[in-house]
Parts: sequence; C-alpha cells; structure tokens
Amino acid sequence: MQLEEHSHGPATVIAVIGRLDNATAPALGDRLSQVLQTRRALLIDLSRLDYISSAGFRTLLVAGKQARQSDAQVVLSGLSVQVRQLFEVGGFLKLFRVCGTREEGLSALH
Amino acid sequence: MKRPADLAYWIDEVPPPGVVILSALQHVGLMCSLIAIPLAIVAQAGLAPVQTSNLVALSMLVLGVTTIMQTLQRGPVGSGLLAPSSFTGGYLMPSLMAAKLGGMPLVFGMTILGGLFEAVLSRGLRYLRPFLPPEVAGFVVMLVGVGLGSLGVRYVLGVDLPQPANHRELAVSMLALSVMVGLNVWGRGNGRLFCALIGMLSGYVAALVLGVIGQDDFVRAMDAPAFRMPRIGAMGWSFDATLIVPFAIGALAACLKTVGDLTICQRLNDADWSRPDLGGISRGTLANSIGSTLAGIIGTTGLATSTASIGLAGATGVTSRRVGHATGAVLIVLSFLPQFAELLSIMPRALTGATLMFVAAFVFVSGLQIIASRLLDVRRTFVIGLSFIGAMAVDLSPGYFRGLPAALQPLLGSSMVTGMVMAIVLNLVFRIGTRQTQRLEILAGQIDPRALGEFIDGCGASWGARRDVIERAKFNLQQSIETLAFSGVANGAMLAEASFDEFNVAIRVSYDGAPLELPEQRPTDDEIMESETGERRLAGFMLRRFADRVVATHRNGRSTVAFQFIH
Repeated sequence: MQLEEHSHGPATVIAVIGRLDNATAPALGDRLSQVLQTRRALLIDLSRLDYISSAGFRTLLVAGKQARQSDAQVVLSGLSVQVRQLFEVGGFLKLFRVCGTREEGLSALH
Repeated sequence: MKRPADLAYWIDEVPPPGVVILSALQHVGLMCSLIAIPLAIVAQAGLAPVQTSNLVALSMLVLGVTTIMQTLQRGPVGSGLLAPSSFTGGYLMPSLMAAKLGGMPLVFGMTILGGLFEAVLSRGLRYLRPFLPPEVAGFVVMLVGVGLGSLGVRYVLGVDLPQPANHRELAVSMLALSVMVGLNVWGRGNGRLFCALIGMLSGYVAALVLGVIGQDDFVRAMDAPAFRMPRIGAMGWSFDATLIVPFAIGALAACLKTVGDLTICQRLNDADWSRPDLGGISRGTLANSIGSTLAGIIGTTGLATSTASIGLAGATGVTSRRVGHATGAVLIVLSFLPQFAELLSIMPRALTGATLMFVAAFVFVSGLQIIASRLLDVRRTFVIGLSFIGAMAVDLSPGYFRGLPAALQPLLGSSMVTGMVMAIVLNLVFRIGTRQTQRLEILAGQIDPRALGEFIDGCGASWGARRDVIERAKFNLQQSIETLAFSGVANGAMLAEASFDEFNVAIRVSYDGAPLELPEQRPTDDEIMESETGERRLAGFMLRRFADRVVATHRNGRSTVAFQFIH
C-alpha cells in the first residue's frame, strides 16, 4: 500500500493506493490519527484502492470515531464498483459521507 | 427485480397513449427494415410482384403475433419482456441455399423444421450451457452482425448484379444511412427516437425523386386495394435432407441470438441484475421457436428477437410491455393493408442495404459486449479468433471452398455456419486439459496476496467465468485466508481449492484448526473497533453475505469453509 498526501486549503487529502488489509491497515490508521489531531477536514481518496478487508474497514471506522470526537469531517471518494459493493455488504455506506470524485469530496468539505 | 433509474417507462409501467403509439411505430419501422431478409430470399427465388407483396404481409403478421407472444408473463411461452421479433441473418444463408435448390416451398418447409429444432433447443438450454458458453453465443451474434453488414454493403454497391450501383442509388444509400446515424448520434427527442423510421422515409423520398423507384412501381403500390386478407400457405412446402444441417445451424444461431438478446433485455430492466434468468430465457426462446414454425407454415422465413429493437428500447428508456402489445397490434393491422406491404416490397436495394448496415452495427457490437462479459484465456482466445478467421476465409475465398468435397458443402455454404461450427468444435477440443478444480497451498506465515488474486483470476480465465462472479470469489478467498492467518486460527498450511461447473464457482479453504466463525448478524461498530474478535466477526459476516451459500465444517481437528457463487 502507498499513501499520497496533499493539502487543499483547510482540507487534507490522503489517497490510498493498492491493498488495505491486515498487513497495511496499521500504517494507514497511524497516519489518519496524526492528521485528525491537527486538521478538521479530511478526504480519503479510494479511487486507486484495489482491495479492502475487514482490517481496512476497522481502520476507517476508528478514524471516523476520532473525527466525530474532535469535531472534524471525514469524506471518502472514488470508490470503484467492487469496493463500493464491499462497503454496502459490510454496512459502511451509511456510516461515511461518500462522494463520486475527489473534486466532489473537496466541495463537500468546504 | 429493481427499477433502473435511467428508464423513462419500465416494464410494468403504462406510458401515455402518444408515447406508446409513437414508440410502437418506431419499432415497426426498425423491424420492417429487416423484411429485407425475406425480400433477399425472394429475389433469389424470383417471385412475381403479387407473391412478394403477399409474403411481406405474412411477414408482418408473424412478426406481430410473435412480438405479442414474447410479452406473455404466464404459462410456458414468453419472456414477459419488450423484445420485438425480426427476421434473422441466422436463417438467411440456409434459406438462400434452399431458394436456389427448390424455390420458396423448400424455404418454408425447412423453416418449419428449423422452428421445431429451436423448440427442442429451448427446452434443453440448461444442458447445452457448457457446450455453448456466452463467448460462443456472443461470437454467433457478432457473426450475424457481420453477415447482415456484408449483405448491406453488397446491396449498396450492387455487387453480384449485372450493373454495379449507379451514383443515384449510392446517393439514396448515403442519405438514408447518414440520416439514421446522424439522428441516432446527435439527434434529440423525437428525432433520435424515430431515427430509423425517418431515415427510411428520407430514402424513399430520395429514391422517388431520383428515379431509383420507378413511378410505375409507386403507382402500382398506391393502386393496391385498401384491405386484403393475406393468403396463408399459398405456395406449399417441400423438404430436402441435404439442408437439415444448415437449417439446424440456422436454428441454433437464431436460438443463441435470442438467448443473447433476452439476456441484454433482462439486464436492461433490472438495476440489481447479476445473472441471466434461465427460466425466462427458455420461455422466450420457445416463443421465438413457435414464431419461426408459424412463419414456415404461413409462408415466410425464420425469426429471432431484434437486437436493434432492444438497443432502441435501451436508448430511449422505454421498455414498457405495453409498447410490445402496441407494436404487435400495429403489425397485425398493417398485414391486412396491402398498400403498405406493396410499398415495403418495392423498397430499393440501395435503401435496404443502408438499413441493413445501420442495424448490423448494433448487432455486431452487441455480440462483442457478450464476448467481453467473460474472462478470456488463451484457449478461449483461439476459440473466438480462429473461428472468426475461418468464417472470414469462406467469404473471402468462396471459390476454394466450393471446390472441396460435396459432403462438406453444408458446413461451408456460409461464413456464419462455418464460424459457428468451428467455435463449437474448438470449444470442445480446448476443454481437454482444462482442470475444473485447481488447488493452491498457502503457508500461514508466507501469504502473498497478489498470488492469491492471480490464482483466482487464472482460474476464472481458464473457465471463461463471469468477471463479477470471479471478483466476489476473489474477495472471499483473500479475506478468509487473511483472517485465518492473522488471527492464528489456522495451524500450518492452508489448502485453497477453486472449482467450476458452469452453474457455480466454488471456493474451499481447508486447514488444521478451529472453524471460522461466520455470524449472520453484523457486529456493532463498537465491537469491531474494540477488539480483533470484533474485526474477525465482521470478516465472517461479510464472507457469509458475499457468497450465495456458505458451509463451515470441522472434523478430527481439520476445518473447511466452502463458499458457493451462483454463475
């Protein structure tokens, strides 16, 4: 897994590239936690995510909880058909604000 | 079945009367354009104008009856869908051979046999599926498109005629094709909705103005009586054993085309579509076979569903069954109005050719889409690629193939027959050595996720399985191995087995250790976040939900978790 990070005004964009599983989820969890300590708007771009397992969902869930506690916003964008199907089956679509593209996600944050 | 958001009028919805009538007229226009197929056969047999006009009336009658039959929802006949009928390129080449050998009575007699053969096929679709996988069905649809398109080009250019097409005929073809394509691509509203009809009318007007249709022909058409009963079975029927193979293959092609069309139609009408409903397709192909048999009995040629009409329903967003009823009714009424039949029967070759080219584009691409829905490995690439080359060779070098022994001629008479026989035979040949069950051993400490993905992708490609099903199977394999390895449930090596039987993809993972928990209820968000047990239960819940069937067993310290995905 690779992470690409950019700033867009008050928002931070983290693009997750590759696989999000037991081996890689802790690294993403650490980074999301650090960002949410200082920033109030976070866009997680999943357009280049190939695979997400239960470990990845757990990481996103923890980040969502941390954001709620610190009054920050988290938006997800760019879910492929397969990844979206996993979000739906796992009951995660209703837990996150999901946008089609990165641009739509940034608009939702501003 | 879930309503797709982009449809204007869904299958059970009732559009306003104006939309029903105009949509029906559009379908009628598109369907009548393929009356060019029986007209091409008539041209081969050299019928008198009055017989040709009667054949057109009978053609409209059988198209109307079959289109209504296809919309039936109850009983063994009818898919319940708006899937209008049309004459098919599948029967064209065998019918041309019959017309040459024994005239129209032989065409009609053999069409009855073809229709009956289709009926038998419709009852056994489930058993034929391993031998006629979707990529072969898609290939046949594609060949039908190639056949229609090349016939259209021959008509437009006047190939095989004493005089090639003159510049006036070419102008009619170009105008009609440009109007149809232009309105379909850039048109809006009614222009786009009725592009084929407007294109054909433009072609008729241009043909009259440029003298491509003689004034005498037009006057004769207008002088026809206002009402006439079509004469049923007036020319009789005959049979010839040497044509059984070409007509059986024509029937198989019509049946496969109908299966492909109804699959597209089901997908168009269901936002949650995941696989073909074989029951509905079987009833739909039976409706078509009855239509083809009826066509032979009353005196016209064999049918299939109209790919172009289904494409039109998708493009306009009107899939209402009411439009099917109206289309059938309009056709039946028109079959009693000889002026309309006369006008269609004097359709100049230039216009017929342009319309065939327009329709062929839809049919060809529809075949490509069916082929592309499957994962194709090197074996399947050869099945499709070599069969296509073989089919083209028959068209490109007809002289060479005519010189081969007479016993082979039924298989070499048309590119479609040759291509389809090659595809079926090669599909059987390349099944040799294809392992329907494949295994992979995985060590808990050495998991390579990419290798797991490649393993299941490779299995899917060698089986020619559907992409969406393989993607679901891939998730379950990767998630189960990951959960077993990282939670320490599995001791030592795990064995993954993947198998396929055309109806199911099955994944089995066996290992030494406790059985994997597969809860029916999703753990709460707090449970998932608070412990690894919660996360593992989430994995088990998703594995259960993602598969169509899950079984976990435990015996003598060894556990197995088996996932089944309906294909």
